[in-house]
Amino acid sequence: MLLLPQALVDGLLIGGIYITIAIGFSLAYGVMHIIDFAVGEWIMLGAFLGLYLSQWTQVEPLLLLPVVFVVFAVLGYLFQPVIHRVLSGKKGNPLLMALVFTFGLAIAFKGLGLTVFGFFSRSIPSAMAADSFTFVRGDFFVTIPVIRLIGLAYAIAVTLALSWILKRTDFGLAVQALAQNKEAAGLMGISAKRTNSWVYGIYVGISAMSGVLIGCMFSISAQMGGKYTVFSFFVVVLAGMGFLAGVPWAAFLLGMVQSFFLIYFDPGYTLLAVFIILYAVLLISPKGLFGKGV
Amino acid sequence: MTEPILRVDGVVKAFGGLHAVNDVSFEVGKGMIVGLIGPNGAGKTTIFNVISGYYAPTRGRVFFKGSDISGLPPYALAKMGIGRTFQVVKPFPGLSVLENVMVASLCRHPRKHDARRHAWDILEFTGLGPRAHDAAASLTLPGRKRLEISKALALEPQLLLLDEVVAGLNPTEADRTIELILKLRDQGISILIVEHIMRVIMNISDQVVVLNFGQQIALGKPVEVVKDPVVIEAYLGEEAA
Amino acid sequence: MRRGIFAFWLFIGLMAVVPAFVQNAFVLRIVTELFMWIGLAITWDVMAGYAGYLNFGHGAFFGAGAYTTAILMMRCGWTFAATLPVAGLLAGLAALLAGIPTLRLKGAYFAIATWALALAIQQLALVLDITGGPDGMRLPPFLHPVFFFYVMLAVAAVTFLLLWLLLERASFGLKLKAIREDEAGAMALGLNPARIKIQAFVLSAVPAGVLGGIYAFWITFIDPASVLADIITDQAMVMAVFGGLGTLLGPVIGAIVVFSFKTLFWAYLADYQVLYLIILGVVIALTVVFLPNGIWGTLTGQIQARNALIKGMAIDPAQGRHPEQGADSND
Repeated sequence: MLLLPQALVDGLLIGGIYITIAIGFSLAYGVMHIIDFAVGEWIMLGAFLGLYLSQWTQVEPLLLLPVVFVVFAVLGYLFQPVIHRVLSGKKGNPLLMALVFTFGLAIAFKGLGLTVFGFFSRSIPSAMAADSFTFVRGDFFVTIPVIRLIGLAYAIAVTLALSWILKRTDFGLAVQALAQNKEAAGLMGISAKRTNSWVYGIYVGISAMSGVLIGCMFSISAQMGGKYTVFSFFVVVLAGMGFLAGVPWAAFLLGMVQSFFLIYFDPGYTLLAVFIILYAVLLISPKGLFGKGV
Repeated sequence: MTEPILRVDGVVKAFGGLHAVNDVSFEVGKGMIVGLIGPNGAGKTTIFNVISGYYAPTRGRVFFKGSDISGLPPYALAKMGIGRTFQVVKPFPGLSVLENVMVASLCRHPRKHDARRHAWDILEFTGLGPRAHDAAASLTLPGRKRLEISKALALEPQLLLLDEVVAGLNPTEADRTIELILKLRDQGISILIVEHIMRVIMNISDQVVVLNFGQQIALGKPVEVVKDPVVIEAYLGEEAA
Repeated sequence: MRRGIFAFWLFIGLMAVVPAFVQNAFVLRIVTELFMWIGLAITWDVMAGYAGYLNFGHGAFFGAGAYTTAILMMRCGWTFAATLPVAGLLAGLAALLAGIPTLRLKGAYFAIATWALALAIQQLALVLDITGGPDGMRLPPFLHPVFFFYVMLAVAAVTFLLLWLLLERASFGLKLKAIREDEAGAMALGLNPARIKIQAFVLSAVPAGVLGGIYAFWITFIDPASVLADIITDQAMVMAVFGGLGTLLGPVIGAIVVFSFKTLFWAYLADYQVLYLIILGVVIALTVVFLPNGIWGTLTGQIQARNALIKGMAIDPAQGRHPEQGADSND
């Protein structure tokens, strides 16, 4: 009971991170209808870029977030045409082929990570990692590491920035038009190819940045991708695939599940619990908690 | 007349607050052709989807040979003897024309060998025989429409729902399709047909149901319906034929 | 078709006499494992190629089977042969339970759910006592390579035969393909997609479970990092995709090519094991982009196109009236 406030706060803080690993992914699905199995690998690669950059430049890793974003956004932008080619293929089922394609990508990235970064776990040294606030009231107490607070702030900033872009800019309107109706958007002079490339770039950039933050809070390794892909999937499926507004709620739910299992149960059962929830939601409300998935 | 093949009784289908179909009632007797007409968005395809099980009616009932079938899934209805075509044709593009029809033939002929033979007979009847081994994706629109009919026929249905099988065809092809429909009627298959082209409906239907904005505005013999002032008003400017 | 059946029995016959001539334990072991991969690749293709649903957790059925055999033998004292049907049944049951909620949805949900299921089962094996947790389980050594050679060959052959009968010879494969192409359209023709897809999923899971059971007794040591690893699904997938989806022979050929490559790679380049992952991933990605029909699909596609051309020139289309009528089967 005494740990309840801590569990809730932890859940909220972890949940923030999960927003950022899922929101770009959900956007990419909503617009391009691609499920990117490599999402966790983009996170992993971003984390290692952050690590090496901060070691090399001796700059606080959190300040390097924009650099990581730009590098990976460009990578994603350049990469998208290949995916576009698979998705617009005539043979077989292009959506399935795209799934297989990103799955292959994920395996290759993981192998690449293992080759270059080795098998060991690391963490990204941030000056903020040591500090924390502690609140005590009576028997209850809550400890909030500064870095996690920054993580939440980052998550909120990314979410707000993304929703501003989607709602207020011409680019955002083009993206929404594309998500709703490809042909009509094409008639309005929106280039699906160009817009998709930007969307994919933004998604990859956000995921890679989140990797750096994860590295400042937890450990990173070349094998971390799979776990974050699962979490990302969980959030997106629970939110309803492609339904961005559902992402924060599903992310906080995942954060809560994780923190409660960490504090009250065996953390080894976390993934199991995650799967059971996923299963139950698919059974009861197949299109996500809000029934708005596509 | 005894119990009709199909009886639609006060069917309502609402999407959210919008009534796509509101209180529609009509019958299709054995061996009859009933035409379903109305301007765009009148709810013709919606009523088709209700009858063939793709939508459950919000209110009202659908009876097939006297038994209530409202809300049954499409595959159960196909097995009972209701065949339908889709306005937006749905071939299985990766399969051959023959395989497309065989899938339907399997409904009555569960052994693949029998289904193949049956599918050949159907293709022969509908004139697609020479294209049997081509990929369905390679057919042009008239071919695809013919394939739609072939698949529905392969179910050996007692009731056939035809959704715009003539629209988009050139006059020669249209006449061939009409000939085919009459041949089916003569074999005792009851037909409910949606069509945009008035000429077609008026020539072949025994009964006509007119929908407008989801409401049933007329029901009767073609000659009576065309004189109905309500119908004329609904079609004013919409259809010159 | 006769030729196909003949080729099948010829292949089985040839394989059956291999142990009489090859005493080299290493070679026997490689071929035994090849049979296993053929089994995994063709069963994976039932869902992917025929039904159009990507199962990213196929390895979980294999692992579940391995653990079933291990637990029944070590904790309940069953004999090996008795555990195999249970291993298959359990894998089938897992497929049934996982398939019911996910197969009603679009393929994307199924792909994600199966992947999550595989990870969850791996976690479960890590935390349970009965599975030995991360330490895994050791089975009594039974050092008869020839025995395992024949068991693996028999199960792979029976699986192939069963799938051939159901998917190519009987109508089940055609129904699956119809659903793959257009689910809503298939419903109007009397097919119940939910039920047919579940049947296919169970059909693909059962042999995988049995193969897992054999593997456990053969290798004598299993742990979550081996029999429940992602790499099992990954590899089966590469084999099927590379060989050609939606055919039975494609995955077999893919399995032979990919597994030979893997064996050579590990024999000569064992120091660069992780490179194998990169190659695997790149091969999948490149196959999707450049050879979407796989090796076998591309080859047969070309042969068919050429035959059609020759036929078109030789036969007057007006009198070329359905030559197949009455023929038993031309698949």
